[in-house]
This record gives sequence, C-alpha cells and structure tokens, in this order.
Amino acid sequence: MNFRAAVLGAAGAALLAAGSLWAHHSVTAVFDTSKRIVVAGEMTEVEWVNPHIFLHMKVKAATGAMQDWKIEGGPPAWYRRANVNKASFSKHVGQMVSVDGYPSKDSGPYGFLLKITFADGDSLESVSAAEAQGKGK
Amino acid sequence: MTYRILSAVLAAGAGASLLLAQAKHPDFTGIWQYSVALPGGGVKQVVQGKVVLGAPDASGRNPAKGGVAGAMPATPAPLYKTEMLAKVKDTDANQSKTDGTFYCGKPGVPRIGPPRKIVQTAGELLFFYEDMSGDQYRIIPFTAKHREDVEPSFNGDSIARWDGETLVVESVNFVPDTWFGENGYVHSDAMKVTERFWKQGENMAYQVTVEDPKVLTAPWVQAARVIKPSDEPLIESAACVEDDAHRLTNKDHHLQR
Repeated sequence: MNFRAAVLGAAGAALLAAGSLWAHHSVTAVFDTSKRIVVAGEMTEVEWVNPHIFLHMKVKAATGAMQDWKIEGGPPAWYRRANVNKASFSKHVGQMVSVDGYPSKDSGPYGFLLKITFADGDSLESVSAAEAQGKGK
Repeated sequence: MTYRILSAVLAAGAGASLLLAQAKHPDFTGIWQYSVALPGGGVKQVVQGKVVLGAPDASGRNPAKGGVAGAMPATPAPLYKTEMLAKVKDTDANQSKTDGTFYCGKPGVPRIGPPRKIVQTAGELLFFYEDMSGDQYRIIPFTAKHREDVEPSFNGDSIARWDGETLVVESVNFVPDTWFGENGYVHSDAMKVTERFWKQGENMAYQVTVEDPKVLTAPWVQAARVIKPSDEPLIESAACVEDDAHRLTNKDHHLQR
C-alpha cells in the first residue's frame, strides 16, 4: 500500500480542530493544522507512554522505499477516560491501517493522529466533546 | 486474667474514643475524580459496526461554575513583586524550555492538583496521585509542627488540622524549581501552600492558597474546584517519555496540569 499525502482545504482541518486543546504542547507548535495527510501502511508498534502515545508504521513511499512513520496521539489518561486502552490499538499491530492527521511542520515522517481506520473497518477518531457525548457535531 | 479483662476494656474504650474522634469530622476517604488537565473533546470508535463514544469529565480541573459555598474569594492571578515581573514574563514566554513538567518532571504541590485517592485515619492522611510524571503519594500527619529534619522536596512537608468541618493541609519546605501554577508561576523556598477540603454533598470542594512573601505581595487564592467521587480505580500511570521537544517551532505549551 502506498503512502499518500493529501493536502485538504482549511474547512477540512477545521472539522477536527474542536478537540485540539493539548496537554503537552499546542498542536500548532509541531504540526501544520492547515494541511491534512493520509498515511497508510503496516502498524508495527504502539507506545503507550506519557505525555502522549505513539503509533509506529511502515509505509511504502512513492519511490518504493519503505519509510518508518511515527504518529502522535493523545495522553493515556485521556484515552482511558474516553473508553480507549492500549489494546484498542495494539490488537491491530501487524495489520494495514490508514491514519488521517496533520503533518509535522518539519515535513518529516511524523504526524498527529485525528483518525485511524483499521484493516477490519473499525476506526477511532478524535471528535468534539459534544459529539463524544452524543449531542451532535 | 483480671489484667487481660482490664486491658480489653481499656482497648475497647480507646477504640471507641478513636471512632468518636473520627466521627466528629467529615471523612474524605475514597477515590476522587481525575482532575489534571487533559485535551478537550473525546473519541468516537467504531468497533464491529457499533459506535462507542467517550469523553473525559474535566469538571474537576476547572473552577466550579457559579462558585462554591464555603470558598474564600479567589484572586484572579498571583500578585508578584515588581522585581519578579520580568522573570515571570520570561518564564511564561519560554514555557516549553523552562517548565520541568514538560520534560516529565514532578509538578509538585499545588500544581499536582487534588489527590485521586485519600485514606483518612485519626492520626494521618494518605494522599495518592495519578500523574504522568509518575504516581506519587503524601503521608500527612495531624500535627501542629512541621518536621525540621527533612530536605526540601517537590511536594513539601505537609501537616493537617481541622478548621471546623474543613480539612486544612499546610505545606512548606519546597524545592524552588517547581511552579505553583500555569503561566510560569515561579516561587521561592519560602512558599507555603494551604489546601482546604470540605464536603459539598457527596463531592469534595478543594481550594488552594499560595503564600510566598519573598516573591508575592499578597497570598494567591485559587478559585475553588469541586471534585466528584469516582469509582474508577487507580492504576499505575504509563511511563513518561518526552520525545518531541526537538520538533517544537515555538516556545509555548498549554495546560500541563
């Protein structure tokens, strides 16, 4: 599966900005929230660490070369209280996944997790508090 | 035999007195809501076709809406001495460089917030914390005098007393390299932190006052918070591995605690 980087419009980025209050650094300090990327490849590892978790992926670049990607998520304490645990991710290790996120400003293979879709069709995404409480977007 | 009976009677009497003493005051023993800053929003999962929603309850992190009965009037921000203003401004402007908690350091009292679990006995309090820097505890005796044989620490030396129905915990002897709040609120080795706990029905009200005559012109009284009881057991926090400071394109961070 090839890596695809998609630059979306500002409206697309704004859709997922609602839940962006960050406990470690501001999202914009590291990531370009005016753009969106889609990274697809094999999830090889889940680092369940503070201050935020990391997902590792092996991605085939357009050149055909394999590239190691690192995706930054939220803090474990936040996930735990949103009904998510390490197994929510790690049960999919070794499988192909697709991550929708923000690219890092340094243009390296590093992204901010907004949504991950697993090989079986399951998914996990950051949403606004209202949506997470079933009150609409 | 007579001695044994007498001992038993005395022991029973002492136990009853102890229970009586405990019964006079509210009991804060229990697990309390996680009240450290977290990102906003929540998570939507799709698991085998079913939607699962979840969002943390952040109410314990922020000042209680509408105020809290029994709380002292809050001061919006610490009032620093003139000679401290430039340092605080610079510390605040360079948070991701100057804040030890950014690099997994201990936040210290009072920045660590209210305890996640309290065990209250007649003689002491045990506070347990769930924190990204590592899970911590405090053992706080009911006594009038601070220890003089301990080194300065992140959480200070704490003693407890009752002020009517309010539990008062007073802490001194801090290391000077923590902050007592967000926005670069530095302090000196003279800082004294007073935490007040009182019951609001089943909830626990929590209010912090920071005094530091070396750097502040007046005590800083934080807005009271209301902490809900929780049935979520404490678990060991994940290790803290800071790995993106080198990627930062500015010097800020947000609501570390």
